Amino acid sequence: MFALAIKNIFFYKGRSITTFILTFVSAMLFIVFVSWQDGSHNSMLENSLKIYTGAIEIYHKGYRDIGGNEYLIRDVKNITDKLSHIKGVEAFSTRYETFGLLSSREYSSASMVAGIKPEKEMGISSLYEALRDGDFLSESSANCIYMGTGLVKKLRLKMRDEVSFVGSASDDSFAADIFKLCGTFKTGSFEFDSSASFVNRSYFDELMYAKNMASYITVKVDNLDEVQRINDDITKVLNDENLESLTWKTLMKTMVEAMEVDNVFGYISLSLFLVVISFVIMIYGFINVSSRIKEFGVLRCIGLSKQNILSLLFYEIFILSSVAFMVAVPIATYICYYYSINPVVIEGIAEMYKDYGLVSDEIPFDFNLFTIFWNIGLIYILNFLSIVYPYIYINSFEPIEASRHV
Amino acid sequence: MYKLILKMAWKNSFLRPARTILVITMIAVSMSMMLAIQGLYDGMVKNMIDKNKRSDSGDISIYAKDYRVQKDIKYRIKDAKTIKEDIQKIDGIKAVVLRLQAQGLLSTARKSSFASIHGIDLKEEEDFGKFSEFLKEGEISLEKRSAIIGVELAKTLKVRIGSKLIFSTQDSSGEINSIALRVRAIIQTTNIGLDNNAIFVDIKKLHEFLGVNHKHATQIAIMIEDNRLISKIKQMYPNFDVKSFLELQPMIKQMKDMMVIFNSITFFIVMSVVFIGIFGVVYVSILDRIREFGIIIGIGMQYKYIRAQIFLESIIVGLIGYISGAFLGLILLIYLRDYGLDLSSFSDALEMWGYEAVITGTIKVSYFTSTFGAIITASALSVLIPLRKIKKLNPIEVIKAEK
Repeated sequence: MFALAIKNIFFYKGRSITTFILTFVSAMLFIVFVSWQDGSHNSMLENSLKIYTGAIEIYHKGYRDIGGNEYLIRDVKNITDKLSHIKGVEAFSTRYETFGLLSSREYSSASMVAGIKPEKEMGISSLYEALRDGDFLSESSANCIYMGTGLVKKLRLKMRDEVSFVGSASDDSFAADIFKLCGTFKTGSFEFDSSASFVNRSYFDELMYAKNMASYITVKVDNLDEVQRINDDITKVLNDENLESLTWKTLMKTMVEAMEVDNVFGYISLSLFLVVISFVIMIYGFINVSSRIKEFGVLRCIGLSKQNILSLLFYEIFILSSVAFMVAVPIATYICYYYSINPVVIEGIAEMYKDYGLVSDEIPFDFNLFTIFWNIGLIYILNFLSIVYPYIYINSFEPIEASRHV
Repeated sequence: MYKLILKMAWKNSFLRPARTILVITMIAVSMSMMLAIQGLYDGMVKNMIDKNKRSDSGDISIYAKDYRVQKDIKYRIKDAKTIKEDIQKIDGIKAVVLRLQAQGLLSTARKSSFASIHGIDLKEEEDFGKFSEFLKEGEISLEKRSAIIGVELAKTLKVRIGSKLIFSTQDSSGEINSIALRVRAIIQTTNIGLDNNAIFVDIKKLHEFLGVNHKHATQIAIMIEDNRLISKIKQMYPNFDVKSFLELQPMIKQMKDMMVIFNSITFFIVMSVVFIGIFGVVYVSILDRIREFGIIIGIGMQYKYIRAQIFLESIIVGLIGYISGAFLGLILLIYLRDYGLDLSSFSDALEMWGYEAVITGTIKVSYFTSTFGAIITASALSVLIPLRKIKKLNPIEVIKAEK
C-alpha cells in the first residue's frame, strides 16, 4: 500500500502540490505563531518576576487578604534559619513594606517604602541592576533612600536632596523621618518606577519598630520548573498553620490568567486559518478520490479490503504531510530559535503598553521542542481527518459499481 | 440564449453535488468564522473606546499646559467655568464636564495604595457618559462624604460598600491634607487608569478639600457630534493643551490600527485559501466535461457563451456559499452582540486589562460587502486558467479522445 501511495502521489501532481503547500503554510504559521505568543507571555512573566516579585513568597495568613500590622510575620529569624536548609532554595530575603507619604520641599507623593537587605536583594531581584544614578543601598546606608525614577520626577528631587516620610509603624504608632536620596532606579515597569522606594532594613526596622518582623519573605529558587516541589518542601519544613507559602503562579494569578485569555483569542484566530486550510485539503482529497472511483472499484474487485483502501488514503496524506513538515519544521524551528535569542524589537511598544505591565520593547520567541511537536501533531490530526469524508464517499459505492464508474 | 446558459450553468453547478456542497460548506464556514472573529475583535475595541470616552476624556479634553506631564493641581485651568459655558454655546457640542483631580494616598485601617481623587458632578457625568452604567455594586451617590471607587482599587484595598477610607494629598497651598470618605459604590469603567486608581467624590467637596476656587478644574471633557469641531476648539484655546481622544490614548489608536491590519491579513489569507478551494473544484469540473465542451464547440457554439456559462457556474457556487456564510455569520454576530462571549472565569484578568468579563461583538455592513466582493472576485478569478484550457481546445481531437 505504501508503494502504491507513493505512485499515486507522483501521478496526481496537482493534488499533491496543493496539499504540500497548504500543509507547509499551516505548519509554519502554527509553529511560529505559538512560539511568538508563548515567548511574549513568558517574557512578560519573567520580567515581572525578575523585577521584584519572588518565585516563592511566604506570608502570615491574612496579610494578603486582610492586611494590617497584626498579620506581619514575627520571629523571622526562626523561619529564615529553616529556609537555608531546603534543597532548591537559592537565596531568600525578608522585606518590610509600608505605604506612606514622601515629601520634598514643594511636592508630595504616595509611595510604597520597603525596608530591604541590600546584600541579599542584589541576588534576588533586579533592583541593583536597575540603578540609574547614585548608589545602591548598603548595610551602612543609614537614612539613604533608593527611589524609582518616576517618583523622583514627581517629587522633583536631585541626588542628595532630603525627603520627608510620614507613615505608620508596625505598632500602629506614627512614624516619620527624613531620608536622603542616594540612588535612583529604573526597572522599566511604569507603575513600580513611579511608586516604589527602598531603605536599608536595619535602619528602617528602627524607624518602623519592626525588628525580627517582615511583611513577607521572598525566595529565589535555582530552577523555576521545580518551584512547586520547593514550595511543598517549604510548607512542610515551616510546619506553621499561620504561614502560607505561595508560588509565583498564585502571586501573579491575574497576570497568568490574562496570558490564558490572550492565548484563547490567539487560538481562536489561528483556528480560522487551520479550519479553512483543512477544508481545502479535504476538497482536493475528495476531488482526487472522486476521479479515482473506478480505480478503487478495480482494487476492491481484485481483493483489497476497505481497510486497505483506508490505509492507502492514510499513507498518501501521511507522506504528503510528512514531506511538508520536513521542509516547514526546520525553517520554523530556526525562526523560533533565532528570535528566541535575538528578540524582535518593536520600538516604543513598552511605553505604549506600560499600563499592561510591558517593561521591554523586546519580544522574544519561545523555543520549545515539545510545543513544536504538539503543533505538528495537531496538523497531522487535521490532515488525517480530511480523508474521512473521501473514504466514506468511496465506500458508498459497491466494488462492481465503482469499477464501472465513469 | 443567456437564459439557456443560466439554466445550464445552474444544472452543471450541481452536476457533482457532493463536490459543490463541500465548496459551499467551506465558503460558509470560513466566512462565518471570519465575520464572527472580526465582529468580536472590533466589538472589544469599540467597547473600550466607548467606555474610555464616556468615563474620562470624551471626544476632546482640555488641560492646562504641563498638567498632563506634571499631574499637579498647580497646573489647573483657572477660568474653567467660563470656558465650559463658551463651549456649550457651540453648535454640535453634546456635553461638557469639568473635573478636578489630585493624586495621593488612599488608606483603610489595614491597607494603603496610591490613588487619584476625581471631583465630579454626578448629574453632569450622567448626561456626559451615562456614569450610572458603570455601577458594579452599591448605589451611585456622592452625598455627604460618599465616594465611588474603581473596581481594581477596591480589590487592592479589600474594601466593600460602607468601608471607610482616608485620602491624603497635598492641597493647593502645599500642605498635606486628609479627608475621610465612605465607599458608596464600586464601578467598572474598563478604563484601566480609573479602575485601578480612581476614587470619585463630589467636585464641590474636592474644591473645598484642596483649597481650590470652585471655578477651577484640571480637565474639561467634551462630547461632540462632529469631528470637525476638534480643530475648531484647538484654535479657540491655543494656550491650553487641547487633545482629541486618540491623541490622549495612543495605545487605543495603535490597537485600532493593529486590528485593521490583523483583519486585513486574516481576510487576505482566508480569501486566498478559499480561492484555491474554488479553483480546484472548477478546474476539475471542467476537466471532467472537456469532451462535452469539445462537442459543443464542434457543433458551432461560440466560445463567449461557454465562457459565460463557466463564469456563471463559478459565481453561482460562490454566491450560494456567500449567502450561507452571510446567514451563519449574521447569526453568530447577532449572538455575540446580544449575549457576547462569556469569559467570566477569567474576569480578574480581563478587568485588569480593561475588558469586561462578557465580551460583546459588533456588526458592520462593511463585513458583508467586503466579503461579498472578495468571494465573487475569487469565484470569477478561479475560472481564468480553466477557460484558457478550453480556449486552446481542438474540438476534433477532444471528440476523438477516449474519456
